[in-house]
Amino acid sequence: MPHDHHDHDPLEEGAALRVRALEELMIAKGLVDPAALDAIVEYYERETGPRNGAAVVARAWTDPDYRAWLLRDGSAAIADMGFSGFQGEHIRVLENTGTVHNVVTCTLCSCYPWPVLGLPPTWYKSAAYRARVVREPRAVLAEFGLVLPADTDVRVWDSTAEIRYLVLPIRPEGTDVDALAAMVTRNGMIGTAAL
Amino acid sequence: MDGIHDMGGMHGFGAVPTDAEEVFVHDWQKRAFALCETVAWAAPFNSDQHRHAIERMPPAAYLTVDYFEKWAIACRTLLLEAGLVDAGELENGKKRFDLSPGDHTPVGAAELIEATQAGAPMSYPEGTASPAFQIGTRVRVSRASPAGHTRAPRYVRGQVGVIETDLGVFQFADTMARGDGPNPQHCYTVRFEARDLWGDAAEAGTSMRLDLWEAYLDPA
Repeated sequence: MPHDHHDHDPLEEGAALRVRALEELMIAKGLVDPAALDAIVEYYERETGPRNGAAVVARAWTDPDYRAWLLRDGSAAIADMGFSGFQGEHIRVLENTGTVHNVVTCTLCSCYPWPVLGLPPTWYKSAAYRARVVREPRAVLAEFGLVLPADTDVRVWDSTAEIRYLVLPIRPEGTDVDALAAMVTRNGMIGTAAL
Repeated sequence: MDGIHDMGGMHGFGAVPTDAEEVFVHDWQKRAFALCETVAWAAPFNSDQHRHAIERMPPAAYLTVDYFEKWAIACRTLLLEAGLVDAGELENGKKRFDLSPGDHTPVGAAELIEATQAGAPMSYPEGTASPAFQIGTRVRVSRASPAGHTRAPRYVRGQVGVIETDLGVFQFADTMARGDGPNPQHCYTVRFEARDLWGDAAEAGTSMRLDLWEAYLDPA
């Protein structure tokens, strides 16, 4: 791995060099353990991500009791699937229906339900998305290819406090839980896509 | 603070980069993220303080610097302000003074992963504070615009919404960011109609919901 060699690569410059310098300083100061740095990156890459959310969604589609629990107490029902942790302590699940479409943002920074979706994609953190989705959600959703009927109740959720939001999309055709999970997309669980 | 980070409703940013689906592009972005997740054990570094340190970047830099470099810059700011590093050390990455052993114990890999999976709930028992507002109550968001960290965005300040959900009692980001403790209080989901926020330009059939701490709200 690149961080295993500690002589500075002359090709490495700018931000990479500044972050490398900060890392080396913090290790020298005894503020961080390099093994912990490796472990946390690996944890987020291996153990979190949209497939977690997809498993939650597929179970909710096929198990009415679980669906009711998920909508009532998102964090607990999600923890039952083994997904928990930072930025997932207080998760609320929003159900899309034939008449209601939910879409999630964080206009102030990039709040996002890490245990079920992983870290957010670049577009979610972009100035354009954060600025516009609260003012013109229909126009923004159309840019994602999602044109909603005029009579759909479009609800934008700005993650301004400690609740993190996960959208429960409308269920597509199908009954097999694994096949359903494979149809669930990250954008579907943020609300910028239908399935 | 009325900073550049408070972007809700701003014009001029163009199309959403809908194809930008990546989380990390460069390895150094992962390292910057990992540093921030790890140093919190050894330095005064809660999420609200980290967010505020990002918000305090000069606006022009905020708009142009890579997302994960902003995390690293905020980390540098918090370490510097805590006196754990000096400017010269940050300049060249070379240690110039030692910290007292035992005062700043780095978190080990196993402990870090365990803590990450456990999370750190920010809620308090219901009885910690009584709610000032009931479901359905019309509230007006305070016009206060403190210079410090706050989570009431500009686009709802002074606006009237309706309490839709009482989320329970939570630590308060504004005081957490100042290092002034949790100040536990009720937090509510407040519904705003698009027309109230954006006037005639509002899209029909849309509404916005924000989670707002009680300190931001007055009866309307």
